[in-house]
Amino acid sequence: MRVLLVEDNRLLGDGLQAGLTQAGYAVDWLRDGEAAVAALSTESFAAVVLDLGLPKRDGLSVLQWMRGRHDATPVLILTARDQLDDKVRGLDLGADDYVLKPFDLDEVAARLRALVRRAHGRHEPLLTLGEIELNPAARTVVRNGELVELTPREFDLLHLLLENAGRVVTRRTLEEQLYTWQDAVDSNALEVHIHHLRKKLDNNLIRTVRGVGYMASAAP
Amino acid sequence: MKRPASYSLRRRLVWLLTATVAAIWLVAAAVVYRQAHHEADQLLDAQLMQVADTLLAIVSGGEVEHFVEELQEHADRARVPIAFEIWYGEHGPMERLVTSPGHGGFQTGATLGFSERVHQASLWRFYAVEDHDKEYRVIVGQAHAAREKLARSIGLSLLLPAGLALILMALAVWAVVGRSLRPVEALAREVGGLDAQALAPLGESAVLPNEIAPVRAALNALIHRVNQVFENERRFAADAAHELRTPLAALKVQAQVALRAQTDEGRQHALSKVIAGVDRMTHLVEQLLTLARVDPANFGATPEPIDPAPAIAAVCADLQSQVERRQQTLSVDAASECRIAIASDWLQIALRNLIDNASRYAGEGAHIEVKLVRDGTNCVISVADDGPGVAPELRAQIQDRFVRGEVDSEGCGLGLSIVARIAALSGARLALGDGLPRGGGGRGFAATLRFRNAADSPSGSQ
Repeated sequence: MRVLLVEDNRLLGDGLQAGLTQAGYAVDWLRDGEAAVAALSTESFAAVVLDLGLPKRDGLSVLQWMRGRHDATPVLILTARDQLDDKVRGLDLGADDYVLKPFDLDEVAARLRALVRRAHGRHEPLLTLGEIELNPAARTVVRNGELVELTPREFDLLHLLLENAGRVVTRRTLEEQLYTWQDAVDSNALEVHIHHLRKKLDNNLIRTVRGVGYMASAAP
Repeated sequence: MKRPASYSLRRRLVWLLTATVAAIWLVAAAVVYRQAHHEADQLLDAQLMQVADTLLAIVSGGEVEHFVEELQEHADRARVPIAFEIWYGEHGPMERLVTSPGHGGFQTGATLGFSERVHQASLWRFYAVEDHDKEYRVIVGQAHAAREKLARSIGLSLLLPAGLALILMALAVWAVVGRSLRPVEALAREVGGLDAQALAPLGESAVLPNEIAPVRAALNALIHRVNQVFENERRFAADAAHELRTPLAALKVQAQVALRAQTDEGRQHALSKVIAGVDRMTHLVEQLLTLARVDPANFGATPEPIDPAPAIAAVCADLQSQVERRQQTLSVDAASECRIAIASDWLQIALRNLIDNASRYAGEGAHIEVKLVRDGTNCVISVADDGPGVAPELRAQIQDRFVRGEVDSEGCGLGLSIVARIAALSGARLALGDGLPRGGGGRGFAATLRFRNAADSPSGSQ
């Protein structure tokens, strides 16, 4: 799950990047509003963690710009200003949630999971498809009541496919969502992960749509 | 010290005006009384003379016996205000012929004409006249009180209506002053109704007299300034919340990352960030405390003028190691003779912040130059560097609290605010401008503090 972190404070940005990576996210970290706008106009993210007090372009202005171009990516706002009107303005401008500094890393991770879940129209925290049950918070996958051992990358890939169950997810989207700019992406890495997933899970779960991408669906 | 008692302008005006007018009228009445007294004297003297001459003419005409009888009867019926005696002496001492009733006889001497003497326990005025044979002598007299009574009644006839008019005037003044002061009361009500939390300027629509309009204008100017200060403080509180919570959030997150790190390397990295965070937080808290200390309340009286050179040398020596750590060079030129009125501590805080800023923002290998020069009646301390400089349009902003010159800085954005405040409290001017020439063209940044040379000012001591 790839998230864009926009935070100008070096220590906090570094810590959030490390912490969210520990929680299983692929985190890209930018330090000003202009850079965030540039990144958001070309790439897609599962969620954006946005600080309000940003250099060059204010966080609220970035948010306004996003909603202005109908970008529905969930946005979690980080704010140190506890004045009510700041929160209200943030939510009015289209923020999905906010956390007040100083916050707990677990809380940020949990709220991000909830945002992504809601963005896909789900209300249950668990993703289920056929015999497969994926728990995003615990990062576990259970098949027929038995735990399936997955690598972090395999888990993220399955998570993405299950979030979009019944729809084709393009290769490009999968790669964008799985890898940060720092990750060196092998051209056939995706195929390798898909292959491993099919081996560990039900063979019929993930279907290849030639020339487009992959789709998760319950066996017919 | 005793607090002066409060007073009402209205009451004071009524009293002052009424008392002044009353005093003027009293003086006028006194003059009128004197004048009336003089007139009464002349009038009554003429009357005395006429009565005496008439009596003398009658008695010397020979009809004395009959006339005296008639006179006696008449005098018994009506008391005349003028008493008289008629004396007769053909060839010898004179003897009293007739005396008006109620007057036991005047102890008159031989003096003719007007005289004044005490008679029957009060002062009387007499007039004596004789016929040319010196047979008859007529003396008429009248109590002095009669003339005073006349003069007084004339004076009082003036004073009584005046007293009544005075009361009417006092009432009129009371009413007129009250009416004239109504705008003041309205203004006071408006000021009294102001909400201290949200000061709104007083309405300019109501027409005020020229004497009171400046008060409203001054109040509005004050409200504007207070609002500015208030807004400034409100923004500072919000900014301080942001500036304190962000590093705290960073510390907490880094500590949690360290706890959860799977590798030693990851844990080391996070822990080193925790320590760096504590250092930054320490710097921020120290700067905040300094800012709080640099307050007019702590400034006190004008300090004794000092030679700034030792303070400059001390600060430069302190910061030498920090400068060297960044491979920067620091040169000091502070030979000139100057004296400035500032507490040495404050000067050192200002200088430390300026040099520390130069070191933080100019980058590795930069050159920093600290200079003290005398420029006419001023002492100028400048800190210049050959770093990337600050764009002219940003120079005004970076004096604000929590505004940093650049994104990638380690500073907390309070240094120049502290210097600006010290400058303002010490009567110095802080100017931000171009610094030393850079290798690749352009100029660095310079901050200049312009103090008045205390040795030149008349109040300064050598």
